[in-house]
Amino acid sequence: MRIGKLLMGDVHFQFKYGFYFIYFLFTILYIGLLFAFPESWRQKAAILMIFSDPAAMGLYFMGAIVLFEKSERVLDSIAVSPVKPLEYVLSKLCSIGIISTVVSLAIGIPAGIVTNPITFILGVFLCSCMFSAVGLIIACKTTTLNQFVLATIPAEILINIPAIIWLFWYKESWLLIHPGVSMIVLCAQSGGAFPALIFLFLWTALFVFIACGAVNKMLKSVGGVKL
Amino acid sequence: MIRVNNLCFSYTKKPFIENTNFEVESGEIFGFLGPSGAGKSTLQKILTGLITSYRGSVIVNGEEVRRHDNGFYENIGVDFEFPSLYEKLTARENLKFFASLYNKHRDIDKLLLSVGLINDADKKVSDFSKGMKSRLNFIKALLHDPQILFLDEPTSGLDPSSSRVMKDIILDEKTKGKTIILTTHNMYDATELCDRVAFIVDGKIRALDTPRSLIMGRGASKIAYTYLDNGREVRTEIPLCKTSEDETLSRLLRENRLLSIHSGEPTLNDIFVELTGRQLQ
Ligand SMILES: Nc1ncnc2c1ncn2[C@@H]1O[C@H](COP(=O)(O)OP(=O)(O)O)[C@@H](O)[C@H]1O
Ligand SMILES: [Mg+2]
Repeated sequence: MRIGKLLMGDVHFQFKYGFYFIYFLFTILYIGLLFAFPESWRQKAAILMIFSDPAAMGLYFMGAIVLFEKSERVLDSIAVSPVKPLEYVLSKLCSIGIISTVVSLAIGIPAGIVTNPITFILGVFLCSCMFSAVGLIIACKTTTLNQFVLATIPAEILINIPAIIWLFWYKESWLLIHPGVSMIVLCAQSGGAFPALIFLFLWTALFVFIACGAVNKMLKSVGGVKL
Repeated sequence: MIRVNNLCFSYTKKPFIENTNFEVESGEIFGFLGPSGAGKSTLQKILTGLITSYRGSVIVNGEEVRRHDNGFYENIGVDFEFPSLYEKLTARENLKFFASLYNKHRDIDKLLLSVGLINDADKKVSDFSKGMKSRLNFIKALLHDPQILFLDEPTSGLDPSSSRVMKDIILDEKTKGKTIILTTHNMYDATELCDRVAFIVDGKIRALDTPRSLIMGRGASKIAYTYLDNGREVRTEIPLCKTSEDETLSRLLRENRLLSIHSGEPTLNDIFVELTGRQLQ
């Protein structure tokens, strides 16, 4: 299976380029921070951390990964290989999704919020994939890290703010259609897990679809023609 | 193997590649020779399916390139003008990764050995010299044993020994029956390697033939000789086929008075200048 080979390649790449080292540092930092909070805050803090970072790492790490590949012209070689855009996208999302899930479990278990491991894992994994897909879409369209970071700001706001509002103040069920909220619901097990799963899955699928189009365009632009 | 009919393409509104026609036979080394900016890389990008917005027909390996599926690339190897390698991975890791994307692959160590990189196989690519990167990038195109090879300026900027190694491998691939499209602005490479050469200027093919006929068909071989005449050195040039008619030369030969005598063929560069009015470099 080519997608398995791609996934191994991506994991190897992230290891060699020092991404795992950064994942590791973040995890230590988060767990340390978590235990600095008073007991009563710990659960909400853990959910916020899991939502805002390990899952969101995808956004920034994806940018860094693709910009590396662009700058080293590796995409030229990918463009003349049998790799299909969907394979490229799924492999990238899974590579980050898996590590995000591991990091989230490492934070969530000591914080005592993992009551249902299955919904927790699904929530984190899907959410990570969704963020990564958004990161991938932005990375396809930018060429420098500065451009990339600037372009992620609106995405961060749109995904984060409703989730934070929901977590702290406004728990209306219609907010579930928002992917950030449905992820928190899945991880925190406050009921409504099934619709949350559906909404999160649909959002992820939508962004994967858009990401495939963006990757296809990016690989074609190796030829130098704007389509 | 490759059939191009009425190909038209331009990056801009201005016409560039216009009504181009040519065919490449299976097992042939076919060269695009032209100065920088002539459109050689552009033609290669069209043939390898990276530019699909062309008009006309381009058939490679039986497929219209515009409509290629991804299996198309199982039988095509592309060596780009610039290295496209993961800098922080070793040479072997790079080759392993790219090989894993294809159905079939060759022995990685043998390939590394063939370009003299076996002892550097486990070094990071970022520590490689330019020549080493070029050689690695070159064998990367051979990894999946493709039927057609597209090489964009494979020897450009290389030291003579790296360049020799690559040319020997190119000739070796030809004996294995591979079809090879070679892009170059180096007339020596084109003369030595190519079965046929297309002269390209401003996106147009100005001439297409074997290097031998291009050279022979134009300026014939010449003889240049020098001798002393009243204490002054005189240099004369005549066509090789007119040797017997040159009385001066016959006399000089009889009297052993020649200072020097050389015969020479025009180079592909001379022919290029004559046909296109442009210099290659
Ligand atoms: N991506 C591009 N967009 C617009 N023009 C381009 C692009 N790539 C090349 N060109 C132009 O097309 C011409 C041919 O370029 P190229 O095919 O790279 O030449 P060569 O490989 O023969 O040196 C040049 O004038 C170049 O400036
Ligand atoms: Mg070129």
